[in-house]
Amino acid sequence: MDLFGSFALLLAFVSAAYAVAAGIAAVITRRPLLIKSARNAGMAVCLLVTLGMASLVYLFLTDNFYMAYVVGHSNRDLPTFYKFAALWSGQEGSLLFWSWLLSLYVISVLLAYRGKHPELMPYVGVVLAGVQLFFLTLNNFVASPFKVLGAMGPDGAMRLVAHADGNGLNPLLQYPEMVIHPPMLYSGYTGFTIPFAFALAALLGRYPGEKWIHLTRRWTMIAWCFQSAGILLGAHWAYAVLGWGGYWAWDPVENASLMPWLTGTAFLHSVMMQEKRGMLKVWNVWLVFTTFLLCILGTFLTRSGVVSSVHAFAQSSIGPWFVGFLALILAVCILAFMKNRDYLRSDNQLDAMVSRESSFLFNNLILLVACVAVLSGTLFPVLSEAVQGSRISVGPPFFNKVNIPIGLFLLFLTGVGPLLAWRRTSLDSLRRNFGWPLLGGLAAGAVAYPLGVRDFYALVCVVLSVFVALTISSEFLRGALVIRARAGVNLFSAVGQLTMRNTRRYGGYVVHFGMVLIFVGLSGAAFNQDKQMEMAPGSRMELGPYSLVCQMFTSRPEQNYTAERATIEAFRSGKQTMMLYPERRFYPANEQAGTMVAIYSTLKEDLYVVYAGRSPENNQPVIHAYLNPLVKWIWLGGVIVVLGTGLALLPNRQAVLVVRAAARTVSVGAAPQPVTAPVQSFKSHD
Amino acid sequence: MTRHRRLIPLLALALAAWLSPGPVGAQQTERAKKLGKHLICMCGCNQILTACNHVGCTTSTAMLKKLDQVVARNEPDDLTLQSFVQEYGESVMAEPPAKGFNRLAWYIPGFAFAAGLTIVLLVISHWRRRITLATAGPAGEQISPELMARARQQADEETED
Repeated sequence: MDLFGSFALLLAFVSAAYAVAAGIAAVITRRPLLIKSARNAGMAVCLLVTLGMASLVYLFLTDNFYMAYVVGHSNRDLPTFYKFAALWSGQEGSLLFWSWLLSLYVISVLLAYRGKHPELMPYVGVVLAGVQLFFLTLNNFVASPFKVLGAMGPDGAMRLVAHADGNGLNPLLQYPEMVIHPPMLYSGYTGFTIPFAFALAALLGRYPGEKWIHLTRRWTMIAWCFQSAGILLGAHWAYAVLGWGGYWAWDPVENASLMPWLTGTAFLHSVMMQEKRGMLKVWNVWLVFTTFLLCILGTFLTRSGVVSSVHAFAQSSIGPWFVGFLALILAVCILAFMKNRDYLRSDNQLDAMVSRESSFLFNNLILLVACVAVLSGTLFPVLSEAVQGSRISVGPPFFNKVNIPIGLFLLFLTGVGPLLAWRRTSLDSLRRNFGWPLLGGLAAGAVAYPLGVRDFYALVCVVLSVFVALTISSEFLRGALVIRARAGVNLFSAVGQLTMRNTRRYGGYVVHFGMVLIFVGLSGAAFNQDKQMEMAPGSRMELGPYSLVCQMFTSRPEQNYTAERATIEAFRSGKQTMMLYPERRFYPANEQAGTMVAIYSTLKEDLYVVYAGRSPENNQPVIHAYLNPLVKWIWLGGVIVVLGTGLALLPNRQAVLVVRAAARTVSVGAAPQPVTAPVQSFKSHD
Repeated sequence: MTRHRRLIPLLALALAAWLSPGPVGAQQTERAKKLGKHLICMCGCNQILTACNHVGCTTSTAMLKKLDQVVARNEPDDLTLQSFVQEYGESVMAEPPAKGFNRLAWYIPGFAFAAGLTIVLLVISHWRRRITLATAGPAGEQISPELMARARQQADEETED
């Protein structure tokens, strides 16, 4: 099966190389047969990489301990569920997984636009195949997951050597979210290849108008949604497994996932300027290029050992390949831009300073500054070592000091931007739109301060969150009241109709509301408390309104590990609230220990209890408890962000209904004219 | 045999206790916790000292113990942190010191903001200049029906979102 997998990957490499060569020839000669052949080769890559992936899955499920990768990342007792997670737990498997996800995107694009956009698609095919070729080069020749273990026999011949069992999966990865988080994040990273390919193709082929933007909007949103979900799932995993009481440590690997998210967010906003007004064409193209480059840079940081991180893969020689690829992409982007930059001239100009356009400009500026701050902080230790000869650390205090004000300004723009009119906003309109939300925000601040919200940033966050939530609500309310008056439906139904008539706009507002909840949750970190103490059975710890009473310590063997479990009874204001079972686990396969945090989560706060081990002095169990306010709001906000993105991806309801009606009318032979006008008036943006 | 099986988890736990690092010092004062947030664990995990409890870390326990000892001497914060810098080098500090070349780390976001703001303002003033020139064109020109239709369509599109 290993030979089958290797062969499938080799064929995939050959197919991708052919897709690039035939695609370039097709672009030059415009021969339909070549275009078709290049596209078919691109689709064959997906089939072949899928076969390679299936082979690796089979090798894991059958405990094939001839395979170096299986030995390194699995063992016999590992539950089947985690044998899938083991696929992407190491360098080689995760790169294959990356290629597979990319090939799924590529085949989806090639099938979705089969026979459409003949001027653009050959270029798109070449760019996509080029990116696939790079990753398949790594899969085949640099980090193959199909290496077998061998040893020299007495006769000098190489023989296969099978291990009795594997080294097992890293305990930190044996958690349900780790089965979902990497696929989500990788789907985000790989998904940004699609808008990149379309942008570069449009530039190379001087494809007219904003069509590439319309074509890639949904792909960008899908990638962005996966990236958002991946980041939040990673944060939740860090919170629930690592046991340090937090969810975001500004670790280089976390930062690597945040940077393309920031530029991708900027792109999703500024793209509207190009769609509506034909502006920011150069900017949008470079935002897409930068987002893709940051995805590759993030992968490089994670895999090269350039920056130290607990999340990074083992140091390897793969770094120069990524540097070379980054340099090549940058060179191609610069050359394409220099050659065809006149094609990107803006059609329109800014009519007034106070307008939706200028708010998008500032939103983009702030998102980009945040990205530069994260990037510079992440790479500064390397720069410092190169210049001064000694490495310094850039940790969470630096990132918090720099990024909290930036984040709050962004939150402010989230409330302001959507309420400004395109072209020009009058002072009267400003007063009308912002008066009540602003008053509401200030009132919330006035209430929060005496209630104990004294931290400056937390207080500003409360004011802005309420302000933004009210501006979003007022937008829904204003539209819904009009529909209610016209259609005579109730308010909830009117809100539903309003949302479905323009899913992109109102889905966007839902996403903004999710972000508000996330900000509220983040502000809670200003009030975290924690306490650590040795706790023998019967002893008690006081933390905020909670009393924790240690009941007992037990040990139990499981399939793949042995757990030492503490039983903690939690009381709130004297009433029994919850039994908590924090664990310390020991995994014999790799002789590593891990923690399993017990969390009692409410909207107000999380009681977060870690069994920290035993005291070296007297062997007493040590319990570390945290009281983290508002953390649940972050996860709720994340769910709403994903739902809002899903909503924005739906076609507008009215348009769909009218098109269906038109189809029915045409099918019975009636003239279609009467239904075309409503289609225009509620037309989708795609 | 059954008895032996029961012994396995106990032996495993004993091995775990032996292999895994001890928990961080349980006697940390609020001041030690506060100062610990300014320091990085030097095991290579790049985490804040008081937050580091990752599997296999043997350094944080010793560092926290030292922190408790230094804090007990009741010296000023900067002297306390300086004693760590002397022992571990500047990389023990969680944020770049605001001196020499390292000051650049603090300046970069500000530079980026200033440069970005300048570019945005230049772009806006360039666009505004273009509109002024466009509106200062020859007066009295008739607007063609096609142009009017296009303007209407554009206005429809631009007021949709």
